[in-house]
Amino acid sequence: MSQKPTMRSLSGVMATAMIAGLATTATANKDTPELSHTTVVSGLENPWDMAFLPDGTMFFTEKCRGLSVRLPNGDVNKLLGMEDTEDYATTADDLVCQGQAGMNGVTVDPDFEENRTVYVYSASSMSDERTNRVLRLKVNDDISNVSDRTDIVDDISYKPAPTDHPFGDAGAHNGGRIRFSPEDGFLYVTTGDTHNGEVPQSPTMLGGKVLRIDRDGKAAEGNNPPEGFDPRIFTYGHRNVQGITFHPETGQPIVTEHGPWHHDEINALVNGGNSGWDPRPNMAGRDDCPDNYCGYQPNQGEGMDPDEREAYMPVTDTETYPDAMKPAWQNNSLSQGIATAEFLTGEQWGGWDGRLVIGFLGIGFGGTPVGQRINLIDIAQDGLSVNDVSELPLPMGSARFRSIVQGPDGDLYTLVDEGDIYRITPE
Amino acid sequence: MKTPLFIVIATALTMGSAIVQAADTSAGKTKYADSCAQCHGPTGKGMASFPSLAGRDADYITSRLETYRAGEKVGSNSALMIPNAADLSDDDIANLAAYISENFQ
Repeated sequence: MSQKPTMRSLSGVMATAMIAGLATTATANKDTPELSHTTVVSGLENPWDMAFLPDGTMFFTEKCRGLSVRLPNGDVNKLLGMEDTEDYATTADDLVCQGQAGMNGVTVDPDFEENRTVYVYSASSMSDERTNRVLRLKVNDDISNVSDRTDIVDDISYKPAPTDHPFGDAGAHNGGRIRFSPEDGFLYVTTGDTHNGEVPQSPTMLGGKVLRIDRDGKAAEGNNPPEGFDPRIFTYGHRNVQGITFHPETGQPIVTEHGPWHHDEINALVNGGNSGWDPRPNMAGRDDCPDNYCGYQPNQGEGMDPDEREAYMPVTDTETYPDAMKPAWQNNSLSQGIATAEFLTGEQWGGWDGRLVIGFLGIGFGGTPVGQRINLIDIAQDGLSVNDVSELPLPMGSARFRSIVQGPDGDLYTLVDEGDIYRITPE
Repeated sequence: MKTPLFIVIATALTMGSAIVQAADTSAGKTKYADSCAQCHGPTGKGMASFPSLAGRDADYITSRLETYRAGEKVGSNSALMIPNAADLSDDDIANLAAYISENFQ
């Protein structure tokens, strides 16, 4: 199945952009390609992430089921199942899902050809209290099973019980993206604040952080967090980071961070940096907050001007933390489920070559626009601002864009919560 | 001329029945696509931390939407559902309940 974007879908995109009041520019520039799409996999249950081998083999996760792989001939093999699954080559009963948590990110070792290794981020019940873990797995020769599981990180924060907050179920704010840097070869792991006010600025709890580790889970040489911090911490003071990619020219890690009813962020990371999120009560002008977490205050249950929210509970608190890393972009003060980041590269993308591609799940609250879309962002080389923001025409229509990855064929693949993986081809 | 009581009752019953049957699934489908599908999914199977609606009968959907419309918390996504339901009319709720219960099995 291949479809061109119709006038109706394009007009829908334009209308959405106009309603959203976004700073968009026209996407029908003659310098940019026409797009078509095919559906690569469908009928999945809450798919979350994907990773490719050079021949097009695609590993993918489903949040409550486990790790699978699609071979270049289209066959799908189910490799590692979670609790209550029966149809996987291997099952690990300690791998559990709840709310936003479960099996999240997946990535392939840069030396897969030699070591046949992949990594996944998953919630686990193996410890006394549930944690998130990074699992290292060896893939067999015909890519039908995995073995030699080693949990290279076993102590990432997990939200153990419901609280009185929006999305307040257990497992919330779980982070979960993992990617190798092509620049330094280390594995970057993004985590979430677990609706716990103490976590983001904590020197020891691994939630609300970006970790940088080697293939054994040890701290990357050169990590520079403040004294007394866990040496695996690359950056801290994050809310819930679900997107990470690396600038194709500078190699700088760039993340997306979900905002709390306001101010989604794109941040270019600096080694040892503080992203300035600190939702503790009774500080920075705040009083008590529900369950000791001010993340959605001052008015977590009703609509309110996003900039008033920001004044009370800033996503980057530069008053308390003057040296905090400054965001490159804050989504026009809105929070719309900023979930995934990737750079488009290659001449086939014309005027979009080098653009940062950002996927949104879409969420509205108290009258704010839902904003399901993929943005194309021209981020400044220093990572401190953006030069231009436009919107990718969507040949398949809008959806909850959970993961975006450029495939080895140069096409753009996007995985959506609805259960599909699409391939977008420029022409 | 007085109208016989049984005709009044029969008419009332017929009207009541007509009201029940008047749920407009087509309007419910449109409302669902505009207001619900982005979280519960185009086929109601649920996504992310948003629950499945499959197999829910019309009474359940009506009861939940009326509860949220009244501003009462039920479940961890109340903060999202209460403002979403705030402006729903009785007809909107009836139409949504009919569409969801008839189409998402």
